[in-house]
Amino acid sequence: MRDILEMIIILSTICVMAAISLAKVYDLTKEPIASQRRLARLQMVNRVLAPHDNEPDQSAVQIPLDTNDGKNRSVLVYRGFQNGKLTGVAFEMTALGYSGQIGVMIGLDPDGTIRGIEITSMNETPGLGAKITEPQFKEQFQGRSLANARFKVKKDGGDFDQIAGATISPRAVVQAVREGLELYRKHKEAIVR
Amino acid sequence: MTKILLILVSTILVNNFVLAKFLGICPFLGVSRKTETAVGMGLAVTFVVTLSTALTWLMQMLILKPFHIEYMQTIVFILVIAGLVQFVEMVLQKTSPALYQALGIYLPLITTNCMVLGVAVLAVQLEYSFIESLIYSFGASVGFALALVLFAGIRERLSLADVPEALQGTAIGLVTTGLLALAFMGFNGLVK
Amino acid sequence: MNLIRDLVNGIWKENPIFRIVLGMCSTLAITTQAQNAIGMGAAVTFVLICSNVLISSTRKLIPKKVRLAAFIVIIATFVTIVDLVMAAFFFKLHRALGIFIPLIVVNCIILGRAEAFASKNPVLNSLMDGIGMGVGYTLAILIVGGIRELLGSGSLFGLSVFGPGYIPFLVAILPPGAFIALGLLLGLMNKINQRLAL
Repeated sequence: MRDILEMIIILSTICVMAAISLAKVYDLTKEPIASQRRLARLQMVNRVLAPHDNEPDQSAVQIPLDTNDGKNRSVLVYRGFQNGKLTGVAFEMTALGYSGQIGVMIGLDPDGTIRGIEITSMNETPGLGAKITEPQFKEQFQGRSLANARFKVKKDGGDFDQIAGATISPRAVVQAVREGLELYRKHKEAIVR
Repeated sequence: MTKILLILVSTILVNNFVLAKFLGICPFLGVSRKTETAVGMGLAVTFVVTLSTALTWLMQMLILKPFHIEYMQTIVFILVIAGLVQFVEMVLQKTSPALYQALGIYLPLITTNCMVLGVAVLAVQLEYSFIESLIYSFGASVGFALALVLFAGIRERLSLADVPEALQGTAIGLVTTGLLALAFMGFNGLVK
Repeated sequence: MNLIRDLVNGIWKENPIFRIVLGMCSTLAITTQAQNAIGMGAAVTFVLICSNVLISSTRKLIPKKVRLAAFIVIIATFVTIVDLVMAAFFFKLHRALGIFIPLIVVNCIILGRAEAFASKNPVLNSLMDGIGMGVGYTLAILIVGGIRELLGSGSLFGLSVFGPGYIPFLVAILPPGAFIALGLLLGLMNKINQRLAL
């Protein structure tokens, strides 16, 4: 009996000490972690957003996403302003690639023309599908909009180059961008207000 | 329904936990000398992984998240897994001696199988629902079992082959696994 | 003298990767780049040293029966600390290593050293063992990572080595390449060891 009691006391002491020290470390690192996350995010946003003098995440709006799995999801649309005038918006869309989700940050001018895209996350095959992160691929989206381009890869009768040996990854990116543009068109009122 | 099938195919074949995600390598190399033991280990892992993922998922949603102590995740999860393995071992011993005979010796090995913790953490990270987590963990462990049994089959043949001395044992095992992983890459893109 | 022996032991004679073949998961998964290997090595070394020292200094207080549970809690605490600190100050690295940071908990090297060495030896020896094992692990995964990055991307630590004309040997940074590279390296180490033994 004494043995068991001793064991319980020692184990609980260890657990309590572990919890206390972790709470302390968590407290100390909470701020830096949050600011690092924000910086990484803003870096992507700023790369595709038109020149602006505000903090895009301070004036962002939530736009609900149409989903078919019953879950409520929304997209955070970052907005850039210059002298109080909207210069552009940026938001992230995802699509299923060759191996997992591909995240695409899309930057638009207020009229819905693409200013640039960035790949925020992907797990595509290095050297093949992963080429979607190269400037050559990303730059072909600049200046395109729903009005002046067919958002499919060339193989499917669209206007965008696929990558030799990898069609699925570019197809996913193009799809994500198209869905993004459609989302913007649908919710433009709510976004530019 | 499609999503469930998608998760299954993806975890078993495309993103096989051993061959593409590198989880559970130690037991994969350790208990793959005979097909029989491989089947036993595969069953034990499937059982524990599915059960522990269900438990850790509930832990995350009912305790860690509401109290905002997500940083305790690693400790809580590993304790849940260790406790569960002990518990399963005790219950099996009491209720089903036959099953205990078959799986018993593999159970203690499972606590340090990084796949168990890996699946639990990933299911939470991927923001799966409870049912999806169950399917995901089941698929992951079936994928593990599949790779293990396949590899054991190859290894039984390999033991008769004339392998250079320096490469014998784990070294040739790893190279063989590499070839198996290469074959599994053929499943890539299957989900799309 | 003993201290030096304990230190060197982990680097060659009982190198966790090449000799005792423990902790393979992270070794295979994160060695697509030399830089990731250094980050992972540093994280594991930190946890090894801290857990070895703490477990060794409390070895007379912890009853035998709850030993393993206590070790696991101690190790998991240090792993979480590494996880949080890395997320706060090395964001990119944290993202690249991903799930393999929490998985340091179940890295057999750490629990293995706690059980086989730290719970039986004085603090100073355990410290040396922790450093030695950590350095041995880091060196091993650095070699694997270096080779895979060199072949698969033609670079080392992100700097181009072979120039832009190099056609990368892609398989090296894909999963199969990890297994094959480590398997061949193990064979090479066995060969060297045989030679040394003669």
